[in-house]
Amino acid sequence: MPAQGGPLTRALLNKEGTKVQKLFKAAAVAAISGLAFAGCSPTVDTKTVVLVTHDSFAMSEELQKQFETESGFKLKLVKAGDAGAMTNKLVLTRDQPIGDVVFGIDNTLTQVASDNQLIDGELTAVDFGDVCMNYDLEWFKTHSKSYPANIRDLTSASYKNLTVVSNPATSSSGMAFLATTIDVFGEDGYLGYWSKLKSNGLKVVAGWEDAYFTEFSGSSGHGKYPIVLSYSSSPAFEIRDNGKSQTASILHDCYRQTEFAGVLSKAKNAAGAAALVEFMTGKDFQAALPDSMYVYPIDKSIALPETWAKFAPAALTLAGEELDVTGNRKAWIASWSKLFE
Amino acid sequence: MNKRGIGWIVPLLFLGVLFFWPLGNILGKGFAGDWVLHLLDARDWQITLFTIWQALLSTLLTLVLAIPGAYLLYRKRFRGQRILRSLITIPFMLPTIVVATGFTIFRDANHLWSNPMIWIIAAHVFLNYSLAVRTIGSFWMSLDLQTEEAAAMAGAGRFRTVWSISLPQLKPALIAAASSTFLYCTASYGVILVLGGGQVHSLETEIATAANTLLDLPKASALALIQTLLSVLAFGISQTGGRANIGIELGDHDGEVKRVDRGDWFAVLITLPVVVLLIGAPMFQILVKTFTEGDGFVSNFMNLAGRGARDLLNISVVDSALNSLRNMIIAATIALVVGVAVSVLLSLPTKRKSSVVIIRVLDVMFLLPLGISTVVLGFGYLVTFGGYPLPLRETWLVVPLIQSVMAVPLVARLVYPALAALDQSQLEAASTAGANSWQLFWHVKLPMVRFSVYTAAAFAAMVSLGEFGAASLLAYGDQATLPTVLYSLISKPGGENYGMAMAASTLIMLFTFAVVFLISRESRPVSKPKRNGLA
Repeated sequence: MPAQGGPLTRALLNKEGTKVQKLFKAAAVAAISGLAFAGCSPTVDTKTVVLVTHDSFAMSEELQKQFETESGFKLKLVKAGDAGAMTNKLVLTRDQPIGDVVFGIDNTLTQVASDNQLIDGELTAVDFGDVCMNYDLEWFKTHSKSYPANIRDLTSASYKNLTVVSNPATSSSGMAFLATTIDVFGEDGYLGYWSKLKSNGLKVVAGWEDAYFTEFSGSSGHGKYPIVLSYSSSPAFEIRDNGKSQTASILHDCYRQTEFAGVLSKAKNAAGAAALVEFMTGKDFQAALPDSMYVYPIDKSIALPETWAKFAPAALTLAGEELDVTGNRKAWIASWSKLFE
Repeated sequence: MNKRGIGWIVPLLFLGVLFFWPLGNILGKGFAGDWVLHLLDARDWQITLFTIWQALLSTLLTLVLAIPGAYLLYRKRFRGQRILRSLITIPFMLPTIVVATGFTIFRDANHLWSNPMIWIIAAHVFLNYSLAVRTIGSFWMSLDLQTEEAAAMAGAGRFRTVWSISLPQLKPALIAAASSTFLYCTASYGVILVLGGGQVHSLETEIATAANTLLDLPKASALALIQTLLSVLAFGISQTGGRANIGIELGDHDGEVKRVDRGDWFAVLITLPVVVLLIGAPMFQILVKTFTEGDGFVSNFMNLAGRGARDLLNISVVDSALNSLRNMIIAATIALVVGVAVSVLLSLPTKRKSSVVIIRVLDVMFLLPLGISTVVLGFGYLVTFGGYPLPLRETWLVVPLIQSVMAVPLVARLVYPALAALDQSQLEAASTAGANSWQLFWHVKLPMVRFSVYTAAAFAAMVSLGEFGAASLLAYGDQATLPTVLYSLISKPGGENYGMAMAASTLIMLFTFAVVFLISRESRPVSKPKRNGLA
């Protein structure tokens, strides 16, 4: 062959040239087999139950096995983004659902679920988490300042430039806090509170991760802000060598996010789906919730882990969870954004 | 022409089924609503203008910094060059939260320059620098150096030689680098979201909010339409810069690559700070955190081997790394084969006017996936591949397939300019010597553009490795990839999780480095005593 191409081809057919050909050959074989695989469709049998859930879902292998032995169904997980994105994906695919059962629709999204008839029957509450302000005990000790007692304190001069929150437009914890302020200060007063927060040096970041791990001083990120919007359970995960937590929560005026599970209305395996919902409200699954998903079990008879009881009790007073977030989200974010952009 | 028409069937089928079908499906749902209203909304156009402005600025800065970088890393040689080439590639497609964590090294400077735009543009340069350097560099490497040398002999300074001799010859690569960078920056999501604190809005962040939070499909579709028009416009403008077929003599000249010397001070002066401060420092920050956070280096990695102490992950990191590897191999190879085929077909010479128009249309069609919202495409996959006739949604293959769709334009942008720039008379010589078009491609063209092919392979692999959007679209519990595992870790409090997340970031960086290093192994300039004197 090289002889046909004349001196040019001959010259190019050095060792390097054949390497690129080898790479290309390997690529072609792999590509064809990949596309061929795509042609084979998978089979989903009625012995498998597919759980659609958000990215924060966690269930130990032992619990999964336990469910499978007790119910006789095989469990398969599908994670579909955060709770909002997951719910929207379920709405989009309602006629050909991506699974049989959903876990993780929270009280800000239940309206969406019922408006779109996503669920067959009722949603079942499984767990809750409280969105509260956290503060860095060590920072306040070294700076000899008193801890903030409530969210009103955050606008006072002695807490200037100390607070970081996540943006309500881009994070669910941020939205929860916005709802809290609307409940506490009223429709007429909440923007006044936020503008005081703003002039007091409030830092707003996109998501919980950025607030907690990049900006907060009490976490491993070693940020500069000693007060952060997080959850009442977070201090249980900041326990230092002395056996004490470095952080604590303001346990008043917190937003309670309750998470629900339910059978999807066009489920292929409705029986398996119902069995899983029942399992989730059972003792074993409930008891594992604090350690696996960092939330409180809905079943109050379940004892919390020792560190939780000591450092991460649930909120004492709540605010905002009765408000209609679905209906008001757009308008609230619009007025909040005017102030902050 | 007929033969060429047959050649187009497979690439068009690929793009039609895996891109245009799902995209049309989801946009169709949106256009059923009151989407026109959004095209009349002044705020949406403000956001569009902002998107263009920041993308132009990012692209310009990236190119200006990348040209001296490409010169040093590809046109010259020095010890450790290959390692450095691979190192600068790591940031491309690094998960946003890792970029943000790395950028905390600039925290003190952040208080000095608190305008988030500075950091967004810096991050865009951080991410796209290697793409521009490699696009320009791999093309530069294949250029005939005779004219440059002649100019240098005639006494032209190093800077002037590059400015007036090399840059005009590099035009096809510069245009390709500019259009890829521009499209990546217009579709930039995570960087703008995180570094802008959710208060800076671009088309892509608006689309994501509309689709994910508000389920406002008409709005998402209207904005996606603007995004698509923007890609077409950018393509049109890049084409007025001149066709690539300018008959550059590509040759096999890597033997003549000279060592970096004092005359290169200007290029070093620009490249050194970029590589050390902008590219190196943030990555160094991640490494440091891997060693210092959690319970330290060893236990961070030991924890990763399991599923975390509290069963936070449904899969061990080793398994997720294997998933990533498998997806990478499938996605990169499909993208390479389809992308090179498209490049070859696009670069075949045409004389008839009608075929020229068709070629341009095909060209822009295969560019579009770079500039389209992954959120929109992801939703399109959800509604399209649910059941009959193609139940792709239920298989793990959906992830590598969607990744390969995203990588094809990148491969084409890298290989096509190099192929188009081949000297037609050289090819005709081979052709008259009796080579058929397949032999011509296999024995002549492919070896001649091999540097661009290696680079394309490396970037196609990167797209798959770092990709998060598609991987999280429908992440089956046992199909998690390294980036999705990283996000599950960093979305929970606790030093142990944070330490593991940092260790996972380091793993992604090492993985990326290893892949790029291995793929680019062969493109190392080899010293040869004599030119082969062909060009």
